[in-house]
Amino acid sequence: MALELPLDRIQRWMQEVVVHPGTVDEAIASAGADLPPARLADVVLPSRTLAPNERVGIYHGMYLLRMEEALETDYPGLRHFLRPDGFRRLVRDYVGSFPSRSYTLNRLGDHLPEFVLAAPGLRHRGFCHDLARLELAMTEVFDEAETPPLSAEAVAAVPPERWAEVRLRPIAALRLLALRYPVSAYVDSMDGKAHRHARPRRKDAWLAVFRRDYRVQRLELSRPAYDLLSDLAAGRLLGEAVTAAARRRGSGAARETQLYRWFRQWMASGMFMGLEGLEPSTNRL
Amino acid sequence: MNRFKLPDLGIGVGLRTVHFGHILSRRPAVDWFEVLSENFMDTRGRPLWVLDQVAERYPIALHGVSMSIGGTDPLDREYLRKLKALAARTRAHWVSDHLCWTGVAGRNVHDLLPMPYTEEALRHTAERVRQVSEILERPLVLENPSSYVEFAASSMPEWEFLTRLGEEADCGLLLDVNNVYVSSFNHGFDPRLYIDSIPAGRVVQYHVAGHTNKGTHILDSHSDHAVAEVWELFRRSCRRTGNVATLYEWDEDIPDFEVLHAEALKARAYRDETAAEPVRVARGA
Repeated sequence: MALELPLDRIQRWMQEVVVHPGTVDEAIASAGADLPPARLADVVLPSRTLAPNERVGIYHGMYLLRMEEALETDYPGLRHFLRPDGFRRLVRDYVGSFPSRSYTLNRLGDHLPEFVLAAPGLRHRGFCHDLARLELAMTEVFDEAETPPLSAEAVAAVPPERWAEVRLRPIAALRLLALRYPVSAYVDSMDGKAHRHARPRRKDAWLAVFRRDYRVQRLELSRPAYDLLSDLAAGRLLGEAVTAAARRRGSGAARETQLYRWFRQWMASGMFMGLEGLEPSTNRL
Repeated sequence: MNRFKLPDLGIGVGLRTVHFGHILSRRPAVDWFEVLSENFMDTRGRPLWVLDQVAERYPIALHGVSMSIGGTDPLDREYLRKLKALAARTRAHWVSDHLCWTGVAGRNVHDLLPMPYTEEALRHTAERVRQVSEILERPLVLENPSSYVEFAASSMPEWEFLTRLGEEADCGLLLDVNNVYVSSFNHGFDPRLYIDSIPAGRVVQYHVAGHTNKGTHILDSHSDHAVAEVWELFRRSCRRTGNVATLYEWDEDIPDFEVLHAEALKARAYRDETAAEPVRVARGA
Protein backbone atom coordinates (compact mmCIF):
# COMPACT_ATOMS: atom_id res chain seq x y z
CA MET A 1 0.00 0.00 0.00
CA ALA A 2 1.43 3.36 -1.04
CA LEU A 3 2.72 5.49 1.80
CA GLU A 4 2.23 9.14 0.91
CA LEU A 5 4.81 11.03 2.90
CA PRO A 6 4.77 14.82 2.75
CA LEU A 7 7.16 16.17 0.11
CA ASP A 8 9.64 17.60 2.60
CA ARG A 9 9.83 14.30 4.47
CA ILE A 10 10.45 12.31 1.29
CA GLN A 11 13.23 14.69 0.37
CA ARG A 12 14.84 14.59 3.82
CA TRP A 13 14.73 10.80 3.78
CA MET A 14 16.11 10.45 0.29
CA GLN A 15 18.92 12.92 0.90
CA GLU A 16 19.93 11.11 4.07
CA VAL A 17 20.15 7.88 2.10
CA VAL A 18 21.99 9.39 -0.87
CA VAL A 19 24.76 11.06 1.16
CA HIS A 20 25.31 8.15 3.60
CA PRO A 21 28.93 6.93 3.35
CA GLY A 22 28.10 3.23 3.81
CA THR A 23 26.30 0.78 1.57
CA VAL A 24 22.82 1.64 0.36
CA ASP A 25 21.26 -0.86 2.73
CA GLU A 26 23.14 0.67 5.65
CA ALA A 27 21.96 4.06 4.40
CA ILE A 28 18.32 2.95 4.25
CA ALA A 29 18.59 1.46 7.74
CA SER A 30 20.22 4.64 9.02
CA ALA A 31 17.40 6.80 7.63
CA GLY A 32 14.81 4.66 9.40
CA ALA A 33 13.50 7.51 11.53
CA ASP A 34 11.83 9.01 8.47
CA LEU A 35 11.00 5.74 6.77
CA PRO A 36 11.32 2.28 8.35
CA PRO A 37 13.25 0.01 5.95
CA ALA A 38 10.41 -2.51 6.01
CA ARG A 39 8.14 0.07 4.39
CA LEU A 40 10.57 1.07 1.61
CA ALA A 41 8.47 -0.66 -1.05
CA ASP A 42 5.47 1.43 0.05
CA VAL A 43 7.38 4.55 -1.01
CA VAL A 44 9.67 3.45 -3.85
CA LEU A 45 8.32 1.11 -6.52
CA PRO A 46 10.39 -1.74 -7.92
CA SER A 47 11.10 -1.83 -11.63
CA ARG A 48 11.05 -4.91 -13.88
CA THR A 49 14.70 -5.49 -13.05
CA LEU A 50 15.54 -3.61 -9.86
CA ALA A 51 14.29 -3.74 -6.28
CA PRO A 52 13.47 -0.44 -4.53
CA ASN A 53 16.78 -0.40 -2.63
CA GLU A 54 18.70 -0.99 -5.87
CA ARG A 55 16.93 1.90 -7.55
CA VAL A 56 17.70 4.29 -4.70
CA GLY A 57 21.20 2.82 -4.73
CA ILE A 58 21.85 4.32 -8.18
CA TYR A 59 21.63 7.83 -6.70
CA HIS A 60 23.53 6.73 -3.61
CA GLY A 61 26.34 5.29 -5.69
CA MET A 62 26.72 8.39 -7.83
CA TYR A 63 26.96 10.87 -4.96
CA LEU A 64 30.50 10.17 -3.79
CA LEU A 65 31.72 9.69 -7.36
CA ARG A 66 30.45 13.16 -8.20
CA MET A 67 32.09 14.69 -5.13
CA GLU A 68 35.35 12.92 -5.91
CA GLU A 69 35.28 14.09 -9.50
CA ALA A 70 34.73 17.70 -8.42
CA LEU A 71 37.53 17.62 -5.87
CA GLU A 72 40.07 15.88 -8.08
CA THR A 73 39.64 18.72 -10.56
CA ASP A 74 40.79 21.18 -7.90
CA TYR A 75 43.27 18.92 -6.12
CA PRO A 76 45.04 16.83 -8.80
CA GLY A 77 48.34 16.90 -6.90
CA LEU A 78 46.81 15.73 -3.64
CA ARG A 79 44.97 12.96 -5.45
CA HIS A 80 48.18 11.90 -7.15
CA PHE A 81 50.06 11.87 -3.86
CA LEU A 82 47.39 9.94 -1.96
CA ARG A 83 46.65 7.59 -4.89
CA PRO A 84 43.02 7.06 -5.97
CA ASP A 85 41.98 4.91 -3.01
CA GLY A 86 43.47 7.24 -0.42
CA PHE A 87 41.95 10.27 -2.09
CA ARG A 88 38.55 8.55 -2.27
CA ARG A 89 38.65 7.90 1.49
CA LEU A 90 39.63 11.50 2.12
CA VAL A 91 36.74 12.75 -0.04
CA ARG A 92 34.26 10.47 1.71
CA ASP A 93 35.31 11.77 5.13
CA TYR A 94 35.57 15.36 3.95
CA VAL A 95 32.09 15.68 2.44
CA GLY A 96 30.71 14.11 5.61
CA SER A 97 32.14 17.07 7.54
CA PHE A 98 31.91 19.76 4.86
CA PRO A 99 29.03 18.91 2.51
CA SER A 100 28.28 21.28 -0.34
CA ARG A 101 26.02 24.12 0.69
CA SER A 102 26.43 26.06 -2.51
CA TYR A 103 24.83 26.00 -5.94
CA THR A 104 28.29 25.46 -7.39
CA LEU A 105 30.74 22.59 -6.95
CA ASN A 106 33.59 25.00 -7.62
CA ARG A 107 33.79 25.90 -3.94
CA LEU A 108 33.30 22.38 -2.57
CA GLY A 109 37.00 22.08 -1.71
CA ASP A 110 37.38 25.37 0.16
CA HIS A 111 37.75 23.64 3.54
CA LEU A 112 39.88 20.73 2.40
CA PRO A 113 43.22 22.15 3.64
CA GLU A 114 41.88 22.62 7.17
CA PHE A 115 40.21 19.20 7.03
CA VAL A 116 43.49 17.55 6.04
CA LEU A 117 44.98 18.70 9.37
CA ALA A 118 42.52 16.48 11.22
CA ALA A 119 41.63 13.81 8.65
CA PRO A 120 41.77 10.33 10.17
CA GLY A 121 44.55 7.99 9.10
CA LEU A 122 46.41 10.39 6.83
CA ARG A 123 50.15 9.87 6.36
CA HIS A 124 52.48 12.79 5.60
CA ARG A 125 49.84 15.12 6.97
CA GLY A 126 52.03 18.25 6.86
CA PHE A 127 52.94 17.68 3.24
CA CYS A 128 49.30 17.03 2.31
CA HIS A 129 48.22 20.16 4.13
CA ASP A 130 50.69 22.35 2.25
CA LEU A 131 49.86 20.70 -1.06
CA ALA A 132 46.15 21.32 -0.45
CA ARG A 133 46.83 24.94 0.50
CA LEU A 134 48.75 25.48 -2.70
CA GLU A 135 46.09 23.86 -4.89
CA LEU A 136 43.32 25.84 -3.19
CA ALA A 137 45.27 29.06 -3.78
CA MET A 138 45.59 28.13 -7.45
CA THR A 139 41.85 27.60 -7.85
CA GLU A 140 41.08 30.86 -6.04
CA VAL A 141 43.49 32.77 -8.25
CA PHE A 142 42.00 31.11 -11.34
CA ASP A 143 38.56 32.54 -10.56
CA GLU A 144 39.56 36.01 -9.38
CA ALA A 145 38.88 39.11 -11.44
CA GLU A 146 41.35 40.01 -14.16
CA THR A 147 42.79 43.45 -13.48
CA PRO A 148 45.23 45.44 -15.61
CA PRO A 149 48.61 45.61 -13.88
CA LEU A 150 50.25 48.83 -12.79
CA SER A 151 51.77 50.45 -15.84
CA ALA A 152 55.39 51.50 -16.20
CA GLU A 153 54.15 55.03 -16.85
CA ALA A 154 52.30 55.14 -13.54
CA VAL A 155 55.42 53.95 -11.72
CA ALA A 156 57.64 56.45 -13.55
CA ALA A 157 55.25 59.27 -12.67
CA VAL A 158 55.88 58.89 -8.92
CA PRO A 159 58.36 61.55 -7.72
CA PRO A 160 61.28 59.79 -5.99
CA GLU A 161 60.69 61.68 -2.74
CA ARG A 162 57.08 60.43 -2.59
CA TRP A 163 57.71 56.70 -2.80
CA ALA A 164 57.87 56.22 0.94
CA GLU A 165 54.26 57.49 1.27
CA VAL A 166 52.89 55.17 -1.40
CA ARG A 167 50.80 52.07 -0.82
CA LEU A 168 50.69 49.43 -3.56
CA ARG A 169 47.34 47.86 -4.36
CA PRO A 170 47.75 44.15 -5.21
CA ILE A 171 45.76 42.45 -7.94
CA ALA A 172 42.88 40.29 -6.69
CA ALA A 173 44.51 37.22 -8.22
CA LEU A 174 47.47 37.09 -5.83
CA ARG A 175 48.04 34.71 -2.93
CA LEU A 176 51.17 34.45 -0.77
CA LEU A 177 52.04 31.19 0.94
CA ALA A 178 54.58 30.30 3.59
CA LEU A 179 55.07 26.55 3.29
CA ARG A 180 56.93 23.90 5.26
CA TYR A 181 57.27 21.53 2.34
CA PRO A 182 58.40 22.11 -1.28
CA VAL A 183 54.98 21.34 -2.71
CA SER A 184 55.36 23.67 -5.69
CA ALA A 185 58.17 21.43 -6.90
CA TYR A 186 55.83 18.46 -6.42
CA VAL A 187 53.20 20.09 -8.63
CA ASP A 188 55.88 20.80 -11.24
CA SER A 189 57.00 17.18 -11.15
CA MET A 190 53.52 16.04 -12.14
CA ASP A 191 54.10 17.47 -15.61
CA GLY A 192 55.43 14.98 -18.11
CA LYS A 193 55.20 11.24 -18.08
CA ALA A 194 57.98 10.39 -15.65
CA HIS A 195 56.16 11.63 -12.53
CA ARG A 196 59.37 11.41 -10.52
CA HIS A 197 58.75 12.99 -7.19
CA ALA A 198 61.11 13.80 -4.38
CA ARG A 199 60.23 12.35 -1.00
CA PRO A 200 58.06 14.72 1.06
CA ARG A 201 60.84 16.07 3.28
CA ARG A 202 60.59 19.24 5.33
CA LYS A 203 62.00 22.28 3.61
CA ASP A 204 60.61 25.76 4.16
CA ALA A 205 59.42 27.52 1.03
CA TRP A 206 57.72 30.81 0.21
CA LEU A 207 55.56 31.29 -2.79
CA ALA A 208 53.52 33.84 -4.71
CA VAL A 209 50.60 32.40 -6.67
CA PHE A 210 49.19 34.90 -9.14
CA ARG A 211 47.54 35.18 -12.51
CA ARG A 212 48.75 37.10 -15.51
CA ASP A 213 46.87 37.18 -18.81
CA TYR A 214 44.51 34.50 -17.45
CA ARG A 215 47.38 32.08 -16.68
CA VAL A 216 47.98 30.95 -13.09
CA GLN A 217 51.66 31.25 -12.23
CA ARG A 218 53.86 30.50 -9.25
CA LEU A 219 56.95 32.41 -8.16
CA GLU A 220 59.37 31.06 -5.54
CA LEU A 221 60.39 33.71 -3.04
CA SER A 222 63.09 34.02 -0.41
CA ARG A 223 61.91 34.54 3.16
CA PRO A 224 62.79 38.28 3.17
CA ALA A 225 61.12 38.78 -0.20
CA TYR A 226 58.02 36.99 1.06
CA ASP A 227 57.88 39.18 4.17
CA LEU A 228 58.23 42.38 2.17
CA LEU A 229 55.69 41.31 -0.44
CA SER A 230 53.26 40.33 2.32
CA ASP A 231 53.62 43.76 3.91
CA LEU A 232 53.06 45.51 0.61
CA ALA A 233 50.08 43.34 -0.30
CA ALA A 234 48.57 44.08 3.12
CA GLY A 235 48.67 47.81 2.30
CA ARG A 236 51.63 48.89 4.41
CA LEU A 237 53.31 52.14 3.34
CA LEU A 238 56.20 51.38 1.04
CA GLY A 239 58.64 53.30 3.25
CA GLU A 240 57.61 51.38 6.35
CA ALA A 241 57.70 48.05 4.55
CA VAL A 242 61.19 48.67 3.16
CA THR A 243 62.45 49.81 6.56
CA ALA A 244 61.05 46.67 8.14
CA ALA A 245 62.67 44.55 5.43
CA ALA A 246 66.01 46.25 5.99
CA ARG A 247 65.82 45.59 9.70
CA ARG A 248 65.02 41.95 9.09
CA ARG A 249 67.94 41.56 6.73
CA GLY A 250 70.49 43.60 8.64
CA SER A 251 73.23 44.16 5.99
CA GLY A 252 73.79 47.17 3.66
CA ALA A 253 74.51 47.49 -0.07
CA ALA A 254 73.35 44.05 -1.15
CA ARG A 255 70.02 44.66 0.57
CA GLU A 256 69.26 47.71 -1.53
CA THR A 257 70.11 45.86 -4.74
CA GLN A 258 67.89 43.00 -3.73
CA LEU A 259 64.99 45.24 -2.92
CA TYR A 260 65.26 46.89 -6.31
CA ARG A 261 65.43 43.54 -8.08
CA TRP A 262 62.44 42.12 -6.23
CA PHE A 263 60.39 45.23 -6.84
CA ARG A 264 61.15 45.15 -10.56
CA GLN A 265 60.28 41.45 -10.77
CA TRP A 266 56.96 41.89 -8.99
CA MET A 267 56.03 44.82 -11.18
CA ALA A 268 56.97 42.87 -14.32
CA SER A 269 54.86 39.97 -13.07
CA GLY A 270 51.86 42.27 -12.78
CA MET A 271 51.26 41.64 -9.06
CA PHE A 272 50.10 45.18 -8.41
CA MET A 273 47.30 47.10 -10.01
CA GLY A 274 47.50 50.55 -8.46
CA LEU A 275 49.14 53.10 -6.23
CA GLU A 276 47.49 54.82 -3.33
CA GLY A 277 48.51 57.88 -1.37
CA LEU A 278 49.40 60.18 -4.28
CA GLU A 279 47.69 63.10 -5.98
CA PRO A 280 44.90 62.02 -8.37
CA SER A 281 47.03 62.77 -11.43
CA THR A 282 49.49 60.00 -10.57
CA ASN A 283 47.12 57.66 -8.77
CA ARG A 284 46.15 55.73 -11.86
CA LEU A 285 45.98 52.09 -12.75
CA MET B 1 6.29 28.50 -32.99
CA ASN B 2 6.01 28.04 -29.24
CA ARG B 3 3.55 30.12 -27.24
CA PHE B 4 6.37 32.27 -25.86
CA LYS B 5 7.56 33.20 -29.38
CA LEU B 6 11.08 32.16 -28.45
CA PRO B 7 13.08 31.63 -31.66
CA ASP B 8 14.27 28.40 -33.22
CA LEU B 9 18.00 29.02 -32.82
CA GLY B 10 18.90 26.02 -34.96
CA ILE B 11 21.32 23.32 -33.83
CA GLY B 12 23.68 24.06 -30.97
CA VAL B 13 26.11 22.44 -28.59
CA GLY B 14 27.12 23.01 -24.98
CA LEU B 15 29.97 25.40 -24.26
CA ARG B 16 32.61 23.24 -22.57
CA THR B 17 36.05 24.16 -21.22
CA VAL B 18 37.90 21.65 -23.40
CA HIS B 19 36.62 23.43 -26.50
CA PHE B 20 37.36 27.02 -25.46
CA GLY B 21 40.52 27.28 -27.56
CA HIS B 22 38.92 25.75 -30.64
CA ILE B 23 35.85 27.97 -30.46
CA LEU B 24 37.81 31.19 -30.03
CA SER B 25 40.40 30.43 -32.70
CA ARG B 26 38.25 28.68 -35.33
CA ARG B 27 34.89 30.33 -34.78
CA PRO B 28 33.00 27.18 -35.83
CA ALA B 29 29.72 27.51 -37.72
CA VAL B 30 27.53 26.48 -34.80
CA ASP B 31 24.09 28.04 -34.62
CA TRP B 32 24.14 28.66 -30.86
CA PHE B 33 25.64 27.60 -27.53
CA GLU B 34 24.04 26.40 -24.34
CA VAL B 35 25.90 27.56 -21.24
CA LEU B 36 25.85 25.81 -17.85
CA SER B 37 24.87 28.74 -15.65
CA GLU B 38 26.60 27.66 -12.44
CA ASN B 39 29.98 27.33 -14.16
CA PHE B 40 30.04 31.06 -14.85
CA MET B 41 28.12 32.67 -12.00
CA ASP B 42 31.03 33.04 -9.60
CA THR B 43 34.15 33.15 -11.72
CA ARG B 44 35.64 36.43 -12.83
CA GLY B 45 38.57 34.75 -14.56
CA ARG B 46 39.15 33.18 -17.96
CA PRO B 47 35.85 31.24 -18.18
CA LEU B 48 33.90 34.49 -17.95
CA TRP B 49 36.19 36.18 -20.46
CA VAL B 50 35.63 33.29 -22.89
CA LEU B 51 31.89 33.42 -22.31
CA ASP B 52 31.86 37.13 -23.13
CA GLN B 53 33.68 36.44 -26.40
CA VAL B 54 31.30 33.63 -27.30
CA ALA B 55 28.23 35.67 -26.40
CA GLU B 56 29.44 38.42 -28.73
CA ARG B 57 29.39 36.01 -31.66
CA TYR B 58 26.74 33.40 -30.96
CA PRO B 59 23.23 33.24 -29.51
CA ILE B 60 23.20 31.87 -25.96
CA ALA B 61 20.72 30.00 -23.77
CA LEU B 62 21.44 29.40 -20.08
CA HIS B 63 20.91 25.95 -18.59
CA GLY B 64 21.16 25.33 -14.87
CA VAL B 65 21.42 22.37 -12.52
CA SER B 66 21.01 23.90 -9.06
CA MET B 67 17.74 25.83 -8.97
CA SER B 68 16.06 22.96 -7.12
CA ILE B 69 12.66 24.06 -8.34
CA GLY B 70 10.98 21.10 -6.67
CA GLY B 71 12.92 21.41 -3.43
CA THR B 72 11.32 22.23 -0.10
CA ASP B 73 14.04 24.62 1.07
CA PRO B 74 13.31 28.30 0.36
CA LEU B 75 14.34 29.52 -3.06
CA ASP B 76 17.94 30.76 -3.10
CA ARG B 77 17.45 34.47 -3.86
CA GLU B 78 21.17 35.14 -4.20
CA TYR B 79 21.45 32.36 -6.77
CA LEU B 80 18.52 33.80 -8.72
CA ARG B 81 19.99 37.31 -8.57
CA LYS B 82 23.26 36.04 -10.06
CA LEU B 83 21.41 33.96 -12.63
CA LYS B 84 19.44 36.98 -13.76
CA ALA B 85 22.64 39.03 -14.03
CA LEU B 86 24.32 36.33 -16.10
CA ALA B 87 21.31 36.12 -18.41
CA ALA B 88 21.50 39.88 -18.95
CA ARG B 89 25.26 39.77 -19.50
CA THR B 90 25.03 37.06 -22.15
CA ARG B 91 21.72 38.32 -23.62
CA ALA B 92 20.45 34.78 -23.15
CA HIS B 93 17.36 33.87 -25.14
CA TRP B 94 15.99 31.81 -22.26
CA VAL B 95 16.92 30.30 -18.91
CA SER B 96 16.25 26.65 -18.20
CA ASP B 97 16.67 24.18 -15.37
CA HIS B 98 15.30 20.76 -14.45
CA LEU B 99 12.10 19.45 -12.92
CA CYS B 100 13.81 18.05 -9.84
CA TRP B 101 15.21 18.93 -6.44
CA THR B 102 18.91 19.03 -5.59
CA GLY B 103 19.05 19.08 -1.80
CA VAL B 104 17.32 20.09 1.42
CA ALA B 105 18.30 21.45 4.83
CA GLY B 106 20.82 23.79 3.22
CA ARG B 107 22.73 21.05 1.43
CA ASN B 108 23.25 20.49 -2.25
CA VAL B 109 23.95 16.93 -3.36
CA HIS B 110 24.46 18.15 -6.95
CA ASP B 111 22.17 15.58 -8.47
CA LEU B 112 18.86 15.92 -10.26
CA LEU B 113 16.77 14.07 -7.72
CA PRO B 114 13.33 12.76 -8.67
CA MET B 115 10.00 14.24 -7.64
CA PRO B 116 6.92 12.30 -6.59
CA TYR B 117 4.21 13.32 -9.03
CA THR B 118 1.53 14.21 -6.53
CA GLU B 119 -0.98 17.05 -6.22
CA GLU B 120 1.07 18.44 -3.33
CA ALA B 121 4.27 18.43 -5.40
CA LEU B 122 2.45 20.04 -8.32
CA ARG B 123 1.06 22.91 -6.22
CA HIS B 124 4.43 23.40 -4.54
CA THR B 125 6.43 23.40 -7.78
CA ALA B 126 3.98 25.61 -9.67
CA GLU B 127 4.16 28.27 -6.97
CA ARG B 128 7.96 28.24 -7.10
CA VAL B 129 8.00 28.41 -10.90
CA ARG B 130 5.77 31.47 -10.75
CA GLN B 131 8.10 33.10 -8.22
CA VAL B 132 11.21 32.35 -10.26
CA SER B 133 9.64 33.63 -13.48
CA GLU B 134 8.73 36.85 -11.70
CA ILE B 135 12.24 37.30 -10.34
CA LEU B 136 13.90 36.50 -13.66
CA GLU B 137 11.30 38.56 -15.53
CA ARG B 138 10.95 35.85 -18.13
CA PRO B 139 9.19 32.49 -18.34
CA LEU B 140 11.24 29.73 -16.78
CA VAL B 141 11.93 26.75 -19.05
CA LEU B 142 12.00 23.34 -17.36
CA GLU B 143 13.56 20.12 -18.61
CA ASN B 144 12.04 16.70 -18.07
CA PRO B 145 14.56 14.72 -16.01
CA SER B 146 15.83 11.20 -16.46
CA SER B 147 15.13 9.18 -13.33
CA TYR B 148 15.85 5.85 -11.70
CA VAL B 149 13.22 5.90 -8.95
CA GLU B 150 9.42 5.96 -9.11
CA PHE B 151 7.43 6.88 -6.05
CA ALA B 152 4.44 4.78 -5.07
CA ALA B 153 2.60 7.94 -4.07
CA SER B 154 2.69 9.42 -7.58
CA SER B 155 -0.85 9.98 -8.78
CA MET B 156 -0.05 10.97 -12.37
CA PRO B 157 2.62 10.19 -14.97
CA GLU B 158 5.46 12.61 -15.54
CA TRP B 159 4.06 13.95 -18.81
CA GLU B 160 0.77 14.85 -17.12
CA PHE B 161 2.66 16.55 -14.27
CA LEU B 162 4.63 18.61 -16.80
CA THR B 163 1.50 19.46 -18.77
CA ARG B 164 -0.37 20.66 -15.69
CA LEU B 165 2.70 22.48 -14.41
CA GLY B 166 2.88 24.34 -17.72
CA GLU B 167 -0.76 25.31 -17.45
CA GLU B 168 -0.60 26.38 -13.81
CA ALA B 169 2.73 28.22 -13.90
CA ASP B 170 3.00 29.09 -17.61
CA CYS B 171 6.50 27.73 -18.00
CA GLY B 172 8.24 26.54 -21.14
CA LEU B 173 9.53 23.02 -21.68
CA LEU B 174 12.96 21.81 -22.63
CA LEU B 175 12.12 18.37 -23.95
CA ASP B 176 15.04 15.97 -23.56
CA VAL B 177 14.14 13.06 -25.80
CA ASN B 178 17.01 10.98 -24.44
CA ASN B 179 15.65 11.47 -20.91
CA VAL B 180 12.23 10.30 -22.13
CA TYR B 181 13.87 7.19 -23.55
CA VAL B 182 15.98 6.56 -20.43
CA SER B 183 13.04 6.92 -18.06
CA SER B 184 10.78 4.84 -20.30
CA PHE B 185 13.30 1.99 -20.08
CA ASN B 186 13.78 2.42 -16.32
CA HIS B 187 10.08 2.72 -15.50
CA GLY B 188 8.52 0.67 -18.26
CA PHE B 189 6.27 3.15 -20.07
CA ASP B 190 5.83 3.81 -23.79
CA PRO B 191 8.06 6.78 -24.74
CA ARG B 192 5.84 7.55 -27.73
CA LEU B 193 2.90 8.13 -25.39
CA TYR B 194 5.08 10.58 -23.42
CA ILE B 195 6.12 12.45 -26.58
CA ASP B 196 2.55 12.56 -27.92
CA SER B 197 1.20 13.88 -24.61
CA ILE B 198 3.53 16.84 -24.16
CA PRO B 199 1.94 20.21 -24.99
CA ALA B 200 3.73 21.04 -28.22
CA GLY B 201 3.27 24.80 -27.89
CA ARG B 202 5.33 24.91 -24.71
CA VAL B 203 8.42 23.20 -26.13
CA VAL B 204 11.10 25.85 -26.69
CA GLN B 205 14.15 23.59 -26.83
CA TYR B 206 15.21 19.99 -27.37
CA HIS B 207 18.06 18.01 -25.88
CA VAL B 208 19.42 14.95 -27.65
CA ALA B 209 22.15 12.85 -26.00
CA GLY B 210 23.74 9.47 -25.60
CA HIS B 211 23.31 7.18 -22.62
CA THR B 212 24.79 4.05 -21.05
CA ASN B 213 22.72 0.88 -21.00
CA LYS B 214 23.65 -1.13 -17.90
CA GLY B 215 21.29 -3.98 -18.72
CA THR B 216 19.07 -3.59 -15.68
CA HIS B 217 18.71 0.15 -16.19
CA ILE B 218 19.93 3.00 -18.37
CA LEU B 219 22.12 5.80 -17.07
CA ASP B 220 21.76 9.25 -18.56
CA SER B 221 25.51 9.60 -19.02
CA HIS B 222 25.77 12.07 -21.94
CA SER B 223 28.85 10.16 -22.95
CA ASP B 224 28.17 8.79 -26.39
CA HIS B 225 26.33 9.03 -29.68
CA ALA B 226 22.55 8.93 -29.48
CA VAL B 227 20.91 5.62 -30.36
CA ALA B 228 18.48 5.35 -33.28
CA GLU B 229 15.46 5.06 -30.97
CA VAL B 230 16.26 8.43 -29.43
CA TRP B 231 16.59 10.06 -32.84
CA GLU B 232 13.23 8.57 -33.83
CA LEU B 233 11.62 10.06 -30.73
CA PHE B 234 13.15 13.38 -31.74
CA ARG B 235 11.67 13.07 -35.24
CA ARG B 236 8.27 12.14 -33.81
CA SER B 237 8.28 15.15 -31.50
CA CYS B 238 9.45 17.59 -34.19
CA ARG B 239 6.45 16.63 -36.27
CA ARG B 240 4.27 17.92 -33.43
CA THR B 241 6.25 21.00 -32.44
CA GLY B 242 7.78 22.08 -35.71
CA ASN B 243 11.43 23.00 -35.62
CA VAL B 244 12.63 24.05 -32.19
CA ALA B 245 16.12 25.00 -31.00
CA THR B 246 18.01 21.73 -30.61
CA LEU B 247 21.11 20.94 -28.59
CA TYR B 248 23.31 17.87 -28.50
CA GLU B 249 24.61 17.13 -24.99
CA TRP B 250 27.97 15.45 -24.46
CA ASP B 251 29.42 15.85 -20.98
CA GLU B 252 31.63 12.84 -20.29
CA ASP B 253 34.56 11.68 -22.41
CA ILE B 254 33.94 14.79 -24.47
CA PRO B 255 35.26 14.31 -28.01
CA ASP B 256 36.92 16.86 -30.29
CA PHE B 257 34.67 19.72 -31.21
CA GLU B 258 34.22 18.52 -34.79
CA VAL B 259 32.95 15.12 -33.62
CA LEU B 260 30.50 16.74 -31.22
CA HIS B 261 29.30 19.20 -33.83
CA ALA B 262 28.86 16.46 -36.42
CA GLU B 263 26.71 14.50 -33.97
CA ALA B 264 24.63 17.59 -33.33
CA LEU B 265 24.17 18.21 -37.04
CA LYS B 266 22.55 14.78 -37.42
CA ALA B 267 19.51 16.51 -35.95
CA ARG B 268 18.97 18.21 -39.29
CA ALA B 269 17.88 14.95 -40.86
CA TYR B 270 15.22 14.42 -38.19
CA ARG B 271 13.79 17.89 -37.79
CA ASP B 272 10.45 18.67 -39.34
CA GLU B 273 11.05 18.59 -43.08
CA THR B 274 7.99 20.76 -43.70
CA ALA B 275 8.97 23.54 -41.33
CA ALA B 276 10.84 26.67 -42.26
CA GLU B 277 14.58 27.04 -41.78
CA PRO B 278 15.63 28.35 -38.39
CA VAL B 279 15.64 32.05 -37.81
CA ARG B 280 19.25 33.15 -37.98
CA VAL B 281 19.90 35.08 -34.83
CA ALA B 282 23.30 36.72 -34.76
CA ARG B 283 23.43 37.18 -31.00
CA GLY B 284 21.32 37.23 -27.89
CA ALA B 285 18.02 39.01 -27.45
